[in-house]
Amino acid sequence: MSVEAPIPPADVDLATVDLSDREWWVRPPAERHAALDRLRAERPFAFFAEPEIPGIPAGPGYHAVTRYADLEAISSQPAVFCSGKGAVSMQDVPAELHEFYGSLISMDDPRHAKIRRIVSKTFTPRMLERTLDSVRTIVDDVLARARATAEADDGAIDVVADLAAPIPLRVICDMMGVPEADRPGVLANSNIVLSGGDPELIENDDPLTAFLTAGMEMATLMERLAAERLADPRDDLTTALVRYEVDGERLSHQEIASFFILLLVAGNETTRNAISQGLLALEEWPQERARWAADPSLDRTGVEEVVRWVSPVTWMRRTATQDGEVGGHRFTAGEKFLLFYNAANRDPEVFADPQRFDVGRDPNPHVGFGSKGPHFCLGAHLARRELQVTFRAVFEQLPDLEVTGPPHRLASSFVNGLKRLPARIGGTR
Amino acid sequence: MRVTVDRELCVGSGACEVLAPDVFEVDDDGAVRVLQAEPDDEDAVRQAAQQCPTRALSLED
Repeated sequence: MSVEAPIPPADVDLATVDLSDREWWVRPPAERHAALDRLRAERPFAFFAEPEIPGIPAGPGYHAVTRYADLEAISSQPAVFCSGKGAVSMQDVPAELHEFYGSLISMDDPRHAKIRRIVSKTFTPRMLERTLDSVRTIVDDVLARARATAEADDGAIDVVADLAAPIPLRVICDMMGVPEADRPGVLANSNIVLSGGDPELIENDDPLTAFLTAGMEMATLMERLAAERLADPRDDLTTALVRYEVDGERLSHQEIASFFILLLVAGNETTRNAISQGLLALEEWPQERARWAADPSLDRTGVEEVVRWVSPVTWMRRTATQDGEVGGHRFTAGEKFLLFYNAANRDPEVFADPQRFDVGRDPNPHVGFGSKGPHFCLGAHLARRELQVTFRAVFEQLPDLEVTGPPHRLASSFVNGLKRLPARIGGTR
Repeated sequence: MRVTVDRELCVGSGACEVLAPDVFEVDDDGAVRVLQAEPDDEDAVRQAAQQCPTRALSLED
């Protein structure tokens, strides 16, 4: 096996660690986690400078929050640590821009509460029951196609392109009612929005323009769909979003477009990376794979452990609205905090043997869907079910799937992503 | 045990509904409604209160 083995971490020199440097994030996970362990233990509010992005002035820098308890304290006090200055970028960006890309994520109450109510009605467990039936159909179809691809090409597949990417994309496009013809464009644009500026995914050398163009194209598609559904209602999420009201208020078409981008950003890429890196983890921990494959009663804890292990979203940002103190750190209004979920998810104060991948871990109070507070992942229920269906189906329908690696990692501090993960089907495991 | 919800705090994540569907439901206003104020499955309701991201559920023994 040529995938990265879980090697014991080397001694890390913190002077060489720059969490703002996207190239640092392609280093092997063992090395990254060794560095995060040391930050958590020695410098739990370590300060980092912001990276330079052409067209956006670099701000004053941020504190990297790596302890679980501090992260929870900040996340659960949204009035003291707000999201409205930007939750998905280190830099302050114009309000219109981050609301457009961040939608609910970069909004504070009372506006956040009102819009969240509108969309949460469409994401309730009961509303999702029917979607979940279609998840099964989609997963079965994607797995059958992956096998066909492998048979046509000497057994080789790419876990990302052939398994992990199409499942959440098809689920979300089905939910929103995106026509088949528009889906390749949605995939390409969502890759650019979530590229974190990775040069491989951005064709020209101007990431900001590429990013804005991709967002505009998706917004144009959604505004078109919203207008169509208003005139001709159908049985999909877009129709629900254009028709629902809270306190007499409806979402504007632009807000629906932003929400669609949020779904892609928060729901599509994250689920994709949980699938691909969950399969990678199972390759690295063959006993855990055998144990989970043999026992469907582990589907619930297995999926929670994948989300903890992968932590698909690395961080969200909060900004202090006033002076105060948290976890022994005194702060002043305007200070920025990046909540490193991947670090909190391996905090030994909370998780026994945190560097061990344990599909039966219970309890598992991970923050892979966010910590306490009003911004907890809206799609957690959908993601959990998508992942449960996917892993069980892989065990049953692709028992001969073998990750051959190595993984090609996305150069992004924000999304823990894989661009490619070579594998084969039809060999002898 | 009695369970109540603060609908101002609730963001309708539905975490409680997954754990105890007989007790909680996210309603048409996007917030949780308590279907069973004195629930049978107290363990599930305790877990729901603990996991609620906005700590919107209150329990009284």
